[in-house]
Amino acid sequence: MERKRLIICVILAVMCAWSAAAPSVRAAEPIVIGVATSLGFLEGRESMKAVQMAVDEINAAGGVKVGAAARPFRVESIDLRDAAPGVPVPEALLGLEKIILEKKPTALMVGPFRSEALIAGMDIIAKYKVPLLGTIAMAPGSEAKIKADPQKYKYVFRTCLNAVHLVKFLAGTMGAINKQFGFNKVYVMTQDVAWARATADLVKKLYFDKSGWTVLGMESYPTGTSDFSSALMKARSQGAQVIMPVFDMPQSGTLVKQWNTMKVPTIMAGFVSPLAGSEAWKIFDGKIGGVLNTTFELGSAMAASKLPASTDFMNKYQKKYGQEIQAGHGPAPSYESVYILKEAIERAGSLESDAVVAGLEKTDRRGVMGRIRYDDGHQAVYGFDPAETSVSLVSQWTDSGKRVVVFPDSLAENMIQLPAGLKSLK
Amino acid sequence: MKKRRERIDRGIKARSEDVYALSSWREMLYLAGPRLLPAAAFLLLPLFLGAYWQKVMISVAVFALLAISWDMLAQTGMISLGQALFFGMGAYVSGILNFYFGMPPWIAIPIATVLGGALCTLILTPVLRLRGIYFSMVTLIIPLMLVRIIEATKIFGGTEGLSGMTPLPSTLTEIYLVTGVLLGVLFGLRRLMETDYGLVLKGIRDNDRSVTNAGIDIFWFKTQALFISSTIGAFAGALMTHVYMFVGMPVFALDYSILPMAAAVVGGSGTLAGAALGAVILVPLSEALRGIGGLRIVMYGLFLVVFTVAVPEGLFDYIQRRYHQMERWVEIDQ
Amino acid sequence: MFAGTVVFALINSSILILLAIGFNLTFGISGVANFAYGALYIMSAYLSWTMLNLLHLPFWASAALSIVFTTISGAMMYRFVLLRVRGQALSEVIATFGIGLSILELFRYLGLVGFEYTLPVFWNESFMIAGAYVDIQRIIIVLIALVLVLGLWLFTHFTSTGLAFRGIAQDERTALTFGIDSDRIATLSVSFGAGLAAIAATIIIPLGSIAPDEGYDVLIKALAVCIIGGLGSTGGVIVAGVIIGFAERFTDSYIGSHWTMIVSLAAILLVLAIKPSGLFGQQKELEERI
Repeated sequence: MERKRLIICVILAVMCAWSAAAPSVRAAEPIVIGVATSLGFLEGRESMKAVQMAVDEINAAGGVKVGAAARPFRVESIDLRDAAPGVPVPEALLGLEKIILEKKPTALMVGPFRSEALIAGMDIIAKYKVPLLGTIAMAPGSEAKIKADPQKYKYVFRTCLNAVHLVKFLAGTMGAINKQFGFNKVYVMTQDVAWARATADLVKKLYFDKSGWTVLGMESYPTGTSDFSSALMKARSQGAQVIMPVFDMPQSGTLVKQWNTMKVPTIMAGFVSPLAGSEAWKIFDGKIGGVLNTTFELGSAMAASKLPASTDFMNKYQKKYGQEIQAGHGPAPSYESVYILKEAIERAGSLESDAVVAGLEKTDRRGVMGRIRYDDGHQAVYGFDPAETSVSLVSQWTDSGKRVVVFPDSLAENMIQLPAGLKSLK
Repeated sequence: MKKRRERIDRGIKARSEDVYALSSWREMLYLAGPRLLPAAAFLLLPLFLGAYWQKVMISVAVFALLAISWDMLAQTGMISLGQALFFGMGAYVSGILNFYFGMPPWIAIPIATVLGGALCTLILTPVLRLRGIYFSMVTLIIPLMLVRIIEATKIFGGTEGLSGMTPLPSTLTEIYLVTGVLLGVLFGLRRLMETDYGLVLKGIRDNDRSVTNAGIDIFWFKTQALFISSTIGAFAGALMTHVYMFVGMPVFALDYSILPMAAAVVGGSGTLAGAALGAVILVPLSEALRGIGGLRIVMYGLFLVVFTVAVPEGLFDYIQRRYHQMERWVEIDQ
Repeated sequence: MFAGTVVFALINSSILILLAIGFNLTFGISGVANFAYGALYIMSAYLSWTMLNLLHLPFWASAALSIVFTTISGAMMYRFVLLRVRGQALSEVIATFGIGLSILELFRYLGLVGFEYTLPVFWNESFMIAGAYVDIQRIIIVLIALVLVLGLWLFTHFTSTGLAFRGIAQDERTALTFGIDSDRIATLSVSFGAGLAAIAATIIIPLGSIAPDEGYDVLIKALAVCIIGGLGSTGGVIVAGVIIGFAERFTDSYIGSHWTMIVSLAAILLVLAIKPSGLFGQQKELEERI
């Protein structure tokens, strides 16, 4: 009797275990997406969340069709720490290698922050042949590397804006300022990192020098600079009408604070990362009225009412995580990258990396940021019309703490407003 | 009845100290074991490790070399807070030779090792007269300044660095090259420190004025110790340049200064083997804990504090004591 | 332009002096090298921030509490850690460096990086001096720097505790024979130094934001000022602060922004190599170099 009961118990237990284990056995093996980036930084954290959101949506809708089978996505992440100054690139790359070797991802997303790390990491990507859809690092050097040896480096894609496309937007904004107010004297201040300097040099070469602007000065500041008084005084004494900042570190808000307290009579138009999110108004005590800031990709921290997909994305994010996107760079392209990968896998019908890359190259998708296609340097093409290309946008902080889209014209909600105390030359 | 603990040498230690060491296999093994075992482990392990852990092993060996180089300096009375200087100098020299002059790694690495070491020695010679904490401050500042200079002058690729170096033929070549050098350096230097030459170096640490009084030119000896130490560090840097096919400002990063110091402190400074042991413990540990991200640096910091304050002699010393000696309770004579 | 640069150079000098006096008190005067100084500076700023934004205390209360707390933690650090390695300068350096590293990296790990982490300015106005607008906060910094330097000088020259500080720095054993409890004095010196770091943080942080990296910068700057000025010399701190402060601003204005940091680092190297006791240091020449 005792024995019989025991046997029944054992059989029942085994059956229970089987039925519990069964779903995971029966369901298709997930496709792993590796998110390797600096998770300690705002842009990295929110990009990771955007990837997770896209993955959840796709899984809820039935997953990815690989040939006949439908398989879900799964996200694995690793902190590369490369954005923190002082972390050696090799150490970041070791993290990249770790996730590739241990989690065997089908594709990597988001990627390194620093362009230096991305460019060095491309050799590792090429070695293991894992596609990377980068959404943070911006220096155009990686495209040059892809074009120089497409067969080797074809695995690297960039969905976010790069410095070259950013130049178009900065030049466009300057053009609008010039057209509206007749301003043509600019002072350029940049972070001393590859992409920011490259951006400023290109704007000068391709726009300022050709359109009759006077560039009064170009200064680059090492990370951690805490006093910008010299340049601001120079800008003032030389009669600058526009200051163009290109800064991506959280500490760079110091520049805006000092610009405000030193009452430099200029329009501030460019890119300062802490100004991107809606929280900036509160953080800067409302002292940023009139500043023009670039949102790198439509949907990252700022949507345009003229493209409903971007507003939807922002709303979905807020609903899921209970807070608005604050990073002006990363989340939107990260979200899109997951869908791009899904479409590429379905196009390829396999997970084999060369086939997926071929699928990625054929990408033509309309989504949050407009229309996405990759060029021959595997860079998503950005332009001014969301029906044709992906778009960035330039918005201006109003004195009441709202951000209004002012550029490009296809999305603009208003004209650029002159800050109080400045006179138009027209 | 009161008792106390007594620590005495093991019989086998006494037996193996003299020519009687040759009396049996057991004695010989007792002597050779602690030396052969790590050597064998370093040589055999790469064959069984996965690709990722092979990379970690390279890191282990590189940090072990840096820690040994730190310990070598420390034994001569110079505490460096900037091992990154040696590492970075080797890395840049090798990178430049490979990038601008197209030298293959087999030529670039040895040249960078010697030239990098010589450059570091040259940079630090003017401050060799400084003692204690003042020397430490200089070593802390120089790597920071070199970073800023590269940033400001934009030489050697500026903030982007140089990429696309020629890699070594395979991971196994990398591992055996670096572990070979590590074992050579470890056993070679341990022997060197036992000789009269080493005695002079240790003498400089203990009382530099007495050594001067003995008619010995301590700056010449300090320069030599500095050269040996910086050459080791430069080799580590030169190798890493080719492993990662990249060299840039981050090679002067604080990590390369702190981790070797932490390794030497944890393992026990003054033994060289302790420094290597520290690296063998800390580096894989920090890789295993990569999931906790930045917290591992917090951990290094705490290790530094706990070991300097509570276990200043380090782990190696403890292990060595256990190996050679035993403890037992004895009665106290009334 | 020139006049404006002079104004900002003066402000910059005051900031450097403020950053350095705490370090100077502990390292220069009582001989304890506190390499966790930058971390204490940042820690007090985060403490104020937390009390201000999460506990919703008024600014003055949170600032005062964080200064008190930082002072106490300096004393604890001495009591529980440094006391055990007292006298071994290098162990002191390694241990305090480890503590600083842990604190700063812990903040970084917690993700407390971003421009929302900042403290409010005291008074938000600016006015014109020498052709440039200067905000009141910066004027306050100059004033507080002056007051603190004067106070420190009076303290170390005219109070018995202050004289004891200098006593243990000059000769610890002789000081003991005079009945000075060197452990108590050293505890006080580390904790006062920490408190001064906290005061500096309270008034300097509002210009920018709180960031872990700043901690390393603060340490380097404090080291620079103390080394150049000479250890144990309050006057030296002022002179060195002014030299570096002017050099930095003028390089920024007339040479190029990325040379600023190099100027101060090069100045330290030069002084260390030529006269390690600094421009005004008079003690312990023999222990510094051979």
